[in-house]
Amino acid sequence: MTGATVEPRTERLPREGQYQWVGIWGLPLRMMHWVAALSIVVLAVTGLYIGKPYFIAGGDTASHFLMGWFRMIHFVAAGLLVVTAIVRIYWLFAGNRYERWRALVPVRPKDFRNMLRRLRSYVMIRPEDEPKYLGHNPMQQFSYTSLYVVAFVQVLTGFALYGQSNPGGIFYGMLNWVGPLFGGMPVVRFVHHIFTWVFAIFIPIHVYLSVRADILEHGSVISSMISGGRIVAVDDEFEDE
Amino acid sequence: MFSPASYPWAEGVSLGEHLEQRGISRREFLDFCGGLCVVLGLSRSAVEGMATALQAMKRPSVVWIQLQECTGCVESVIRTAEPTIGNLVLDLISLDYSHTLMAASGHAAEEALHAAMQENAGEYLLIVTGSVPLNDDGVYLTIAGRTAKTILEEAAVGAKAVIAVGACAHWGSVQAARPNPTGAVGVAEIIKDKPVLNIAGCPPIGDVVTATVAHYLTFGRLPATDGDGRPLFAYGARIHDQCPRRANFDAGQFVEEFDDENARKAWCLYHVGCKGPATFSPCPIFQWNDGTDWPIGAGHPCLGCTERNFWDTMTPFYGRLPDVGGFGVERNADLIGAALAAGATAGVAAHAIATGVHQARRKRELPVVERPVGGGTAPNSPSSGKE
Repeated sequence: MTGATVEPRTERLPREGQYQWVGIWGLPLRMMHWVAALSIVVLAVTGLYIGKPYFIAGGDTASHFLMGWFRMIHFVAAGLLVVTAIVRIYWLFAGNRYERWRALVPVRPKDFRNMLRRLRSYVMIRPEDEPKYLGHNPMQQFSYTSLYVVAFVQVLTGFALYGQSNPGGIFYGMLNWVGPLFGGMPVVRFVHHIFTWVFAIFIPIHVYLSVRADILEHGSVISSMISGGRIVAVDDEFEDE
Repeated sequence: MFSPASYPWAEGVSLGEHLEQRGISRREFLDFCGGLCVVLGLSRSAVEGMATALQAMKRPSVVWIQLQECTGCVESVIRTAEPTIGNLVLDLISLDYSHTLMAASGHAAEEALHAAMQENAGEYLLIVTGSVPLNDDGVYLTIAGRTAKTILEEAAVGAKAVIAVGACAHWGSVQAARPNPTGAVGVAEIIKDKPVLNIAGCPPIGDVVTATVAHYLTFGRLPATDGDGRPLFAYGARIHDQCPRRANFDAGQFVEEFDDENARKAWCLYHVGCKGPATFSPCPIFQWNDGTDWPIGAGHPCLGCTERNFWDTMTPFYGRLPDVGGFGVERNADLIGAALAAGATAGVAAHAIATGVHQARRKRELPVVERPVGGGTAPNSPSSGKE
């Protein structure tokens, strides 16, 4: 498919020419992304119910298990999220240069410069001034790494709370230091609850910026998380090529 | 059964003989030991051993000092509908020195304390209720001109074991809540050189104190504890996991307001701030006032009083989440979270519109591409067919 000529579809096109498909995201990373996305949405919805039960089951107690099911689904989704975390951690070392841990830490002066340029282009609505990246740009690197940290705190606090139901069990034994670290289990619960909102804030921004990039860059940003690669102009230049 | 006042436990007399004098049958005594074994999670075979150990016991010396506290813990320990054997044992052992229960006062009381400490040096059990204020050299609590810290340190020197009873002795309780003006701390912050057992709760259940003392007398050591020094037999499980309203929790049946229909049906109090899911305590099993009732049984959410810093971390008592400061007025954390999420969505929508306007303007400036004659070449590759 590389180098296939794309025929002009409309009367107004920014550019025509040679395009090529560049593979960026490996299968484990793509799988991990969508499973994590699903489990985070499930975790947020069930978690907000557990935090504040917004449905109440009427009638006979014995014929309902509403909270029970919500908790069960929450715990299963939590286990799934941990599985994706294990895959991601492995892929931090086994993946290609767009997926490795180095691609998640913007520390070079150039990274900071481009992060500011990116921010300026977002704020001033100048998409044409954005520094172009094939993989994650420094702002993405920063926000996704931060989200990994938030997810890590969620897993830690979540399983510490989970362990409370069975003192002497494996989760209690592994994580009973979390409560004193935060200053008591109610604080752990509060942090766990508040951090859910970080996802609720992150998801609309993430989805919007992906859709926006997909439109502005004429396709393939969103589908790269499905197909694994992007279609880019042959003469395009990228900061991380 | 005769009262302890008319039949005092004399020096050198074993507990078995003493109970016999007071008209308590061996059957009743074995019943009591069996109950304690259940409380402590011991097997049936331990009943005989405990009975033998307790019967052979000579009058033990217990010094009970009360520091910065409200006397509620002593009230809880002695509060029973009728004198039970457990009560009796505690009455007997707490005779040496106890502010609330002893008859002596003034210099006589202080002499009794020193006499008990000297005569039984290295042997007595020290029970402490109340916290120790440390700010301004401890002036916020002095007894007979000495600060709480000095009294506690002196009393602990000759003690065989130290039991801190109640939230104040555990970590400071209400006086240690932010901003903790007197610098109140628990016993374990002062006594570092010997194990301090914490009987948590504000106040704790009297039976837990009784059972702990019985364990100590039977085995000669304090029971196994959790990471916070609380005996596991009592504080080994959450209220939530022992609660009679747990079925309503799992079913999704919650009280929404204290006077609603669901409250009348005795549904789960989670919604109105019950801290049972974060609180390790035996309340649902032991209950209070001779097994009469307990907070959740009476329709009141658990406050979490057996947990460290519960005045700061478990409040508001009637809400699930703490209030977050700022914004001029206090707002619920959920409200702020939802507002931020909505703000992010709105901001994103505004940004999308601005980007759209910008792109439309830019597109108008782009040169028009001529449509190839005849509507374009027929696509050769399958991928361009999708276009």
